[in-house]
Amino acid sequence: MEISRKTMEVATAVLTGSVGALICYGSTENGIGWGPGGPEPGYFPFGIGCLILIGSLATLVQTFWKHAGAHPAGGHSAGAGAGAVPEEPFIDGTRLRLLVAFVLPIVAMTALSAWLGLYIGMGLYIFYTMRVSAGFRTLTSLAAALLVIAVNFVVFEKLFMVPLLKGPILEYFGIY
Amino acid sequence: MGNFGQLMDGFVVALTVHHVMIMVIGVLLGLVVGVLPGLGAPNGVSLLLPLTFTMDPIAAIILLTSMYWGALFGGSTTSILFNIPGEPSSVATTFDGHPMAKQGEAVRALTLAFGSAGFGAMVGVVVITLLSGWVANFALQFGSPEYFAVYFMAFASFIGMAGGSPFKTLVCIMLGLAVGTVGMDTISGEGRLTFGITQLTNGISFLIVVIGLFGIGELLLTIDEGYKFDGVKAKLSLRVIVRTLAELPRYWVTLLRSALIGCWMGITPGGPTAASFMSYALGRRFSRRGKYFGKGEPEGIVAPETADHSAGSCALLPMLALGVPGSATAAVMMGGLMIWGLSPGPMLFTTRPDFVWGLIASMYLGNVIAVVLVLATVPIFAWILRAPFTVVGPLIAIVCLIGAYTVSNHMFDIWVALAFGLVGYVFKKLDYPLAPFVLAVVLGDKAEDAFRQSMLSSGGSLSVFFEGSLVATMMGIGILLLSLPLLTTLFGALFRRGDSTDAGQTSRP
Repeated sequence: MEISRKTMEVATAVLTGSVGALICYGSTENGIGWGPGGPEPGYFPFGIGCLILIGSLATLVQTFWKHAGAHPAGGHSAGAGAGAVPEEPFIDGTRLRLLVAFVLPIVAMTALSAWLGLYIGMGLYIFYTMRVSAGFRTLTSLAAALLVIAVNFVVFEKLFMVPLLKGPILEYFGIY
Repeated sequence: MGNFGQLMDGFVVALTVHHVMIMVIGVLLGLVVGVLPGLGAPNGVSLLLPLTFTMDPIAAIILLTSMYWGALFGGSTTSILFNIPGEPSSVATTFDGHPMAKQGEAVRALTLAFGSAGFGAMVGVVVITLLSGWVANFALQFGSPEYFAVYFMAFASFIGMAGGSPFKTLVCIMLGLAVGTVGMDTISGEGRLTFGITQLTNGISFLIVVIGLFGIGELLLTIDEGYKFDGVKAKLSLRVIVRTLAELPRYWVTLLRSALIGCWMGITPGGPTAASFMSYALGRRFSRRGKYFGKGEPEGIVAPETADHSAGSCALLPMLALGVPGSATAAVMMGGLMIWGLSPGPMLFTTRPDFVWGLIASMYLGNVIAVVLVLATVPIFAWILRAPFTVVGPLIAIVCLIGAYTVSNHMFDIWVALAFGLVGYVFKKLDYPLAPFVLAVVLGDKAEDAFRQSMLSSGGSLSVFFEGSLVATMMGIGILLLSLPLLTTLFGALFRRGDSTDAGQTSRP
């Protein structure tokens, strides 16, 4: 699977535009007009939302313009930077798979950590990446995971006195 | 020379054993952060910031600024040895630094880089010493319209001077401002843009945004770009180092020109990255050996490095004196000042002179320590970087996630950071500038307050921004900067007829 740069440009501009619209909508709940005490709380955010919409629309137009004609008229491409170089895709299949393989475990770790605590989450994550991605032996991976947990525990709980989320298992063993 | 006396007082503050120790630790941490791809100066400072909440503000700022120097220096090591910029601002160093290292002169390249970087940083610090008191005095006359005009100018210069699409810059600034407004409104106490999500009531911390955009985003980018080390071995020899340092004064024209570019780009929020590219481009154009640039030319290393570091240090001047940071990292530090209960800006010079001048004095020392340490640790970092990224990457990921958690001990923040990580990755690949985004998040509240207060005093009329001569001048400059892309397009179209090959050259380094 390959995603072209144009697709991504359009998707991003549509997304930022929707965020802009959402901000406009959200700020109407606070009042966007002029109250007795000056501008209402939504006044400033509403303007921001509008400017995001304008910027996103302009980016959309610019993208289509650049891709519609082979050589856009005027000096408009000077600022865009891409010029007439044949375009490379935003991301190709191999890269995308690599990226997903990197991101998914992180998401899984976050979800697990919310439930079991950060220490167990990070331990499982390090074990997984060492064993599966880096291809170390099980014992080495296990040792690395324990080492990471130990180092973080000492740094955060002892040195800087910043407690991290423990979760039910550590609490069961009396570690708060 | 009132500043000189105060600077001496500052040295008394900075030169205690405790503070020098903190500088060494800060520089070392900074080197790690600068060397590892995926961890940069803004992100490193954000990760460290929650741990400094309990420290004394002077020690805390010395730690953070030392980390900043370390990160700036560390970024050049990887650029030269591995052709992988550890920091965006050291990309231009790879152009000549890596070729020179490949020709077997790695130590010469490193010494040239660090020597000129040290020179650039020193020029920057001297500029701060000379100008900051003056700027702060000047800024004492500012009312809220003037402050809004300063913020306006800062944002306008991003739109006007950035090489990329002005609309993308606009979107980034406004998204940043929007993130800044989420949560409780400081004036009315109403919750804004929370959409009923209770976790958003306290707002989104700029630290989370930076950890996401710069940390996780950069990490994803590194994976995407494929992480291969084609390293050059560097064996340190004291003789080569000394000989290269003696060679450095020969490039005094390049040094001075680059330092000036750096100072200018640092004070106006162009930032170190833009400064180093610009300095490299100008160096290539004006140097007699310009046509050798890109093949391992010494001046090609000196130019970007000097500008990078003078911009990096000068970026702290507007942060201290005006409360408007000149770079993403300075923005994070300014956020830190506010958390420590100090309000950056001209008043800081009168209320906490020990803090301001202690910090400035520590910059002199911190940079000297950084030059020495970075040279001494080259072999260690070269060794660390040989570890496969499948091991280093997850470790960096954990540091980022825990960093996001420690900001306010909420799991929700980790999810927000992950989301911003994806945004950062996509934005970076599509050339949306990230520095203005962060600046806007930090400045959002202040810009809005300034705007609302000016509107209150004028009864809702925008004319308040054009009444005084000072505020009108600043707004005028801002509007001029905003229209700069339009003007260059027009001029480009006019002159293109004559020479079609030259038009795009200035925007691309």
